[in-house]
Amino acid sequence: MERNQQLRRQLASMRQSLFDQGHLDEQFILLEELQDDANPNFVEEVVTLHYRDSARLITTIERALEKSPLDFNKLDGYMHQFKGSSTSIGAKKVKAESTQFREYCEAGNGEGCMKTFQLLKRDYATLRRKLEAYFQQALPGA
Amino acid sequence: MSPASSSVAVSDQFPAGLRVLVVDDDPIWLRILEKMLRKCLYEVTKCNRAEIALDMLRMSKNGYDIVISDVHMPDMDGFKLHEQVGLEMDLPVIMMSVDGCTQDVMKGVTHGACNYLLKPIRIKELRNIWQHVAQQPKPFEESDDSYSVNQGNWRTSNRRKDEEEEAEKRDDTSTLKKPRFLVS
Repeated sequence: MERNQQLRRQLASMRQSLFDQGHLDEQFILLEELQDDANPNFVEEVVTLHYRDSARLITTIERALEKSPLDFNKLDGYMHQFKGSSTSIGAKKVKAESTQFREYCEAGNGEGCMKTFQLLKRDYATLRRKLEAYFQQALPGA
Repeated sequence: MSPASSSVAVSDQFPAGLRVLVVDDDPIWLRILEKMLRKCLYEVTKCNRAEIALDMLRMSKNGYDIVISDVHMPDMDGFKLHEQVGLEMDLPVIMMSVDGCTQDVMKGVTHGACNYLLKPIRIKELRNIWQHVAQQPKPFEESDDSYSVNQGNWRTSNRRKDEEEEAEKRDDTSTLKKPRFLVS
């Protein structure tokens, strides 16, 4: 059916743009390769788990950044967790920003941390939105 | 599945059926690693707490062939877990981390980890973990292939046991762990 072909092409181009725009890396492809008959929605499951987990961390980091003076050890610890979680789905930009944030923590640079965190939140929200749209389109009966 | 039957299965189809205990406080990574290890035809047990992992290992003395654990966990330092496992159970331990800093890697080595995997981990790296497991010669049929491939590991494991006994006599903890570090 032409409509199906159109949808599939749209889906493929959505997926490709995520890579082209640097939002996702090879880890996402690995997740796709792990998807099989036993777990047909594996990628979506992992991504959903990630966003549930990471949303909590974002709030925690936000609160920690409001404290004065900043506890860089704690901030680094939270961001380490966040980085681990982002790495699991291949969130390329967000992962790079979390590394940057941790470098600022190590240097005791509060302003650097806050600026990087704003960028991170923006890219995090963008990827989340795009992935939600992607899965909405990809999953049958969505 | 009784332990007896699964250990026979391991030696017959080795490395398929390798019994892996994977420890990580991140539930997402546990899920992904489980899937990847199953794809390698390994038998996987997941655990999200280091303390629980130690209990499981203590309760099932010969229930696992290898442990893979993240280094940074809230309840027990992953390095400490590695050290305990290596000392109490003489099982190979592989550490994982999303960091690759030299300090962490060296710390892992001195605590007895036999390998270090950087997240994101590729399937190829997990496929190779069987190389760290010493295989006893088959009871009825000594296969030249399997014995020669693992001869190095088997000897290393026995030599380490001797060294441990020596060190205990001397009450010298610094030489207890001889790092057998393989970078894959």
